[in-house]
Amino acid sequence: MKGNKSSWGILGKLLISLSFLLVAMPLLWVSIASFKKGTDLNNPTQITFVPTLENWKEVFSSGIFQSAGRSAFVGVVAVSISIVLGSMGAYSISRYKTGKSLTRFGILAAQVLPPAVLVFPFLDLAYRLRLSDTLVAVIAAHLSFVLPVVTWFLIGFFDAAPKEVEEQALVDGLGRFAAFRKVVLPQVAPGVGAAAIFGFVLSWNDLFYALILAPGNAATLPVRIAGFNTFRGVELGAMCAAIIVSVVPVLITSFFIQRRLVRGISGGAVKF
Amino acid sequence: MSFRIRMILPLLATLVAAVGYPLIYSFYLSLTSYKITKRWDVHFVGLNQYKDVLTNSDYWSAMKVTATFVVFGVFLELSLGLAIALALQRQKKFRDFTRSFLLSPMFITPIAVGLMFRFLLNQQLGAIPTILDKLGLSYDFFGSGKALFTMVMIDTWQWTPFMVLLILAGLESLSKQPFEAARVDGANPFYTFKRITLPMLTPILTVAILIRSLDALKVFEYVYATTRGGPGIETQTIQYFTYQTGIQYYRLGNASAMAYLLLILVMFLVIVLFKQIEKARRS
Repeated sequence: MKGNKSSWGILGKLLISLSFLLVAMPLLWVSIASFKKGTDLNNPTQITFVPTLENWKEVFSSGIFQSAGRSAFVGVVAVSISIVLGSMGAYSISRYKTGKSLTRFGILAAQVLPPAVLVFPFLDLAYRLRLSDTLVAVIAAHLSFVLPVVTWFLIGFFDAAPKEVEEQALVDGLGRFAAFRKVVLPQVAPGVGAAAIFGFVLSWNDLFYALILAPGNAATLPVRIAGFNTFRGVELGAMCAAIIVSVVPVLITSFFIQRRLVRGISGGAVKF
Repeated sequence: MSFRIRMILPLLATLVAAVGYPLIYSFYLSLTSYKITKRWDVHFVGLNQYKDVLTNSDYWSAMKVTATFVVFGVFLELSLGLAIALALQRQKKFRDFTRSFLLSPMFITPIAVGLMFRFLLNQQLGAIPTILDKLGLSYDFFGSGKALFTMVMIDTWQWTPFMVLLILAGLESLSKQPFEAARVDGANPFYTFKRITLPMLTPILTVAILIRSLDALKVFEYVYATTRGGPGIETQTIQYFTYQTGIQYYRLGNASAMAYLLLILVMFLVIVLFKQIEKARRS
């Protein structure tokens, strides 16, 4: 093999350009389709068409923003609880080795449990407590994976944080909880931020739990989007618009967190 | 009560309520004839439920479909992810923009990704089959024998970025010394990759493969958005089959037993993953 450096460089550029197209084209196509009329959608390769806002009007009046609001609410509540409980627990696990490797294992296992194992008890309980089709049920279910994921992230960040400052704070007469709150937490603030965003995205994207626990009046965004799953030509455009509504905030977010995520993971968030 | 216990107690209590309790309750359900339509009439059927599931050919088919999906999907994602991460690492211009854009699919709601491809690949209305048709090629993406591979492709589109993210993070945390030495010795890039990069990356690759496999086992959205298990039961994955049994046919007991059997497989993978992570943490 001719190990020519520049030919590898060209191959790499080619690969990146190709991947770029593969990611961009479907998104672009769906965006364009969201401005097409029903009749134009029946002819997918037609290039010129008169743009219409019909699909967007339909999507906006379908309650998609209420659903997005619900998703945001569920995510914020689940993440807030997880950050408070998770940071305290993670600190105990990281500094004091509480429960040794058993706790670490339990937290890892909890985040990868198949949702099918947990969802039916949640459904039954929601029926019994008359909470079916409410956000309370969805939040409880989301806690089952957001909490362990957030805790796991934070353990990694506490492991990587230096102990000296905190020990100095204890010597200076700060209580242990005050030292945790005023000295340790600020040190791992970027980690807390990364964990919060990660947990929020997981909750925001969940369809399985939300579809089973709140399929009706309390539909979250993924459930609402799934509702556009129809192939009668007219609603196709609305479906495309709904897809774009869910994609845009995510694209913006990933733009801001990407660098932090790569650094966070290589800098101790996930230890390999 | 000592400080460390007080700190961990709220976490443990919540985990017991949100994970432990449903976990045990689900095992109890798996031993009963529980139907959501007949909640007042529940019989204990014990392990017969598991016998039912294990002798159900649809269950085994769903297992096989899921296994095929996971193996092909994760393999494709790993190979592509490795290549793309290596290319991104050398890239100098538009670095941040390219990275954020290429990583973005993993943040999109999977149901939206599923619907997007349903739209693009639809036989009558989709852009891709229509273009292929004009080129004289006829390919039904959701046809028999092809639908499962289409699911794999959708998964690859969305989750290769995850592999890229982990591998890129891994590459950037590797020590520079061996690479310098190889360069001084005039080793060619292919040799450097095989003898230095790959061995040093092995721990991170193992973890990435395990995390992706565990996640791919739960595939539900793409099936729900596109084929609903069809044609026949060719794309009926384990998570979708469990959903059908529990929600469409109300048989929560039976569905819980299915989920529990999957859990055994998952636990095995988690133990391997945990050992790998602990090993790396100690070293």
